[in-house]
Amino acid sequence: MNTNEVDILLVDDSQEDVDLTLHALRAENLANSFFVARDGEEALEFLFCTGPHAGRSFDHPPKLVLLDLKLPKIDGMQVLKRVKSDERTRIIPVVLMTSSKEERDLVSGYNLGANSYIQKPVDFDEFRKMVKLLGMYWLVINRPPLTNGWAPAAKQAQ
Amino acid sequence: MSGVIGPVKRATAARLVKAGIAIPPLAPASLGGSARTEAAEGALANPPGRDAEQELREQKYALDQHAIVATTDVQGTITYVNAKFCAISKYSRDELLGQNHRILNSGHHPKEFFQQMYHTIAGGQVWRGEIRNTAKDGSTYWVDTTVVPFLDANGKPRQYMAIRADISERKQAEERLAGQTEELSRQAAELLRSQMALETQTLMLRSVLDSMEEGLAAADEQGKFIIWNPAALKILGLGATNLPSRDWSAHYGLYLQDMVTPFPADQLPLVRAIRGETTTTQMFVRNPELEHGTWIEVSGSPLKDKNGAVCGGVAAFRDVTQRRAAEQEIRKLNEELEGRVAQRTAQLETANHELEAFTYSVSHDLRAPLRHIGGFSKILSEDFGPGMPAEAQSHLKRIEEGARRMGLLVDELLNLARVGRHDLELRPTRLNLVIDEVVSLLQREAEGRAVDWKIAELPPAQCDPILIKQVFQNVLANALKFTRPRERAVVEIGFRQENGQMAIMVRDNGVGFSMKYSDKLFGVFQRLHRAEDFEGTGIGLATVHRIIHKHGGRVWAEAEVDKGATFYFTLEASKATDIKANEMTGQSAAAGA
Repeated sequence: MNTNEVDILLVDDSQEDVDLTLHALRAENLANSFFVARDGEEALEFLFCTGPHAGRSFDHPPKLVLLDLKLPKIDGMQVLKRVKSDERTRIIPVVLMTSSKEERDLVSGYNLGANSYIQKPVDFDEFRKMVKLLGMYWLVINRPPLTNGWAPAAKQAQ
Repeated sequence: MSGVIGPVKRATAARLVKAGIAIPPLAPASLGGSARTEAAEGALANPPGRDAEQELREQKYALDQHAIVATTDVQGTITYVNAKFCAISKYSRDELLGQNHRILNSGHHPKEFFQQMYHTIAGGQVWRGEIRNTAKDGSTYWVDTTVVPFLDANGKPRQYMAIRADISERKQAEERLAGQTEELSRQAAELLRSQMALETQTLMLRSVLDSMEEGLAAADEQGKFIIWNPAALKILGLGATNLPSRDWSAHYGLYLQDMVTPFPADQLPLVRAIRGETTTTQMFVRNPELEHGTWIEVSGSPLKDKNGAVCGGVAAFRDVTQRRAAEQEIRKLNEELEGRVAQRTAQLETANHELEAFTYSVSHDLRAPLRHIGGFSKILSEDFGPGMPAEAQSHLKRIEEGARRMGLLVDELLNLARVGRHDLELRPTRLNLVIDEVVSLLQREAEGRAVDWKIAELPPAQCDPILIKQVFQNVLANALKFTRPRERAVVEIGFRQENGQMAIMVRDNGVGFSMKYSDKLFGVFQRLHRAEDFEGTGIGLATVHRIIHKHGGRVWAEAEVDKGATFYFTLEASKATDIKANEMTGQSAAAGA
């Protein structure tokens, strides 16, 4: 799989949630190219093109990151912070997906620059509806910037 | 003649004799006859004769030399005065003759005095008394006066003769004396009064000094004790000494607050008081009479005379041994209390923190599996339902329903966790017994594996056996779990001293973890491994953490990826030296299992 052509980065340590999410996306034909990271560390390696993903290029960021908050090693909030505080990754849309009903997560998520904050419903029908809406919006309706939109600034920085 | 003499003397002679004046029996008629004549006084020239007249003249002469003599008529008009009369009254004879005696009245005597005199002499009686008169120049003089009435044939006074003696000097002396006596007795009375007052005051002070509970010692400028009350004797165990002040500390055994350094003599409150300083200090007293020693608080202040000059010093002191002990006790209790409060606060904060994390995690982690159950059941029934037997579809419905019910249960368990608390029951516990029980419980999990248990003999700990058993269950189960990839698992249990506390150590040769994430290790629902690799809830070490903190201990871990992990936790070593091996601890732990 060419990780340079990924529409969706799904970050979740739960295989079940991953399967359920993908099931919902597939039903809408939105799961053509995706990558699943199982913890925060792996997500950061993918997004910052390091470790096993050193071959990836910043020119092809994912069109959407679905980020769970509760992750092994580095939690979702930290991942979000790193992504949104780095010029090279700042423009990538990040949607926080969590079961948490904590108001403080919602607030700090938005403060860190999350593009959306979604509570995963326990009811599967609702969950499916929500995933479909998200996929349609970010992958079909929304117009992302040019893939190299960040590049001049990054080069200047060098 | 005898007819005349009769009325004068019969009764009067006796009175005159009584008064101590001897009058020779004269011939009154002749006396009266010659009284007016100049010749009577000037009779000096006449040589004494034998006849009565001559003798009378001589006697009159002698009388004039001695006494102040005057005669008046019955109206009181002066008819004769002798030279002495003129001399004392400072009037000339001419000025006096024909005048009434009132001319000499000094106003000293009341009217009644003269009325009584007149009454006496008018009645033919001789009157005698002391009279104060005023001279011509206004000065006064006292005369001892005898007035003798001369009677006519009818027994009525015909004239009066007054014979006087100057007693002014005696009177003045008497007056002076009377004044002095009065002053003297006044002074004496005053002296007596002040003496009595002094005695009363001294007595009062004495009884105050005797009855007061404070020791009181006073010394003069030379350091000689002038007061040493019974309380001073009682408190210091010794009486006043004649030793100089530089020897007082040694004599009475006075020490500084370190209880060993002799109190510097020049700093003693009494010595400083004599120097004019006012001080308060505490000192320790120990001497042969006070073997256990006494703490005293001493106040010294100078004694001053009425001019305000320092003339000594006084030291008041009291036994503060009990007060100091009480203060120390209070201080100790306060420190303990503070320590306990700090400990409790830390425990409470930890508990709150964990509860918060727990609440947060429950809403996240426990709901996720429920969503999975519901989700996959749904997919199953949607995608494969049509081909399934009705019974299978019904089962799926039950699974979905079960998931929903579990959601409710989770919420209720969450509430229970908030309320449920376990009160610590600390007791001396043989940890090895607890460990043995846990190890035997874990045997099933270790079945078919090669596990080396290296368990040291641990000292007894002061802890809650039920909770500590949970700690070992979690830590040892983890050791077993994370050594699963090893051909031969090694689990070591030992201890070491850590700041006066006992630190229990559990080491394994398992997969370990990166210390980078060690801060997450004891958080509720925190996991460093994927669920596929090592199953787990993320609650075990959080429970360990909570239990150890509840004991006021500390828990930490050291590890390296692939090189095993070591967990430490501290417990209070038991002070009980004789734990019987019949082992409440073992039984309790078993009951808690």
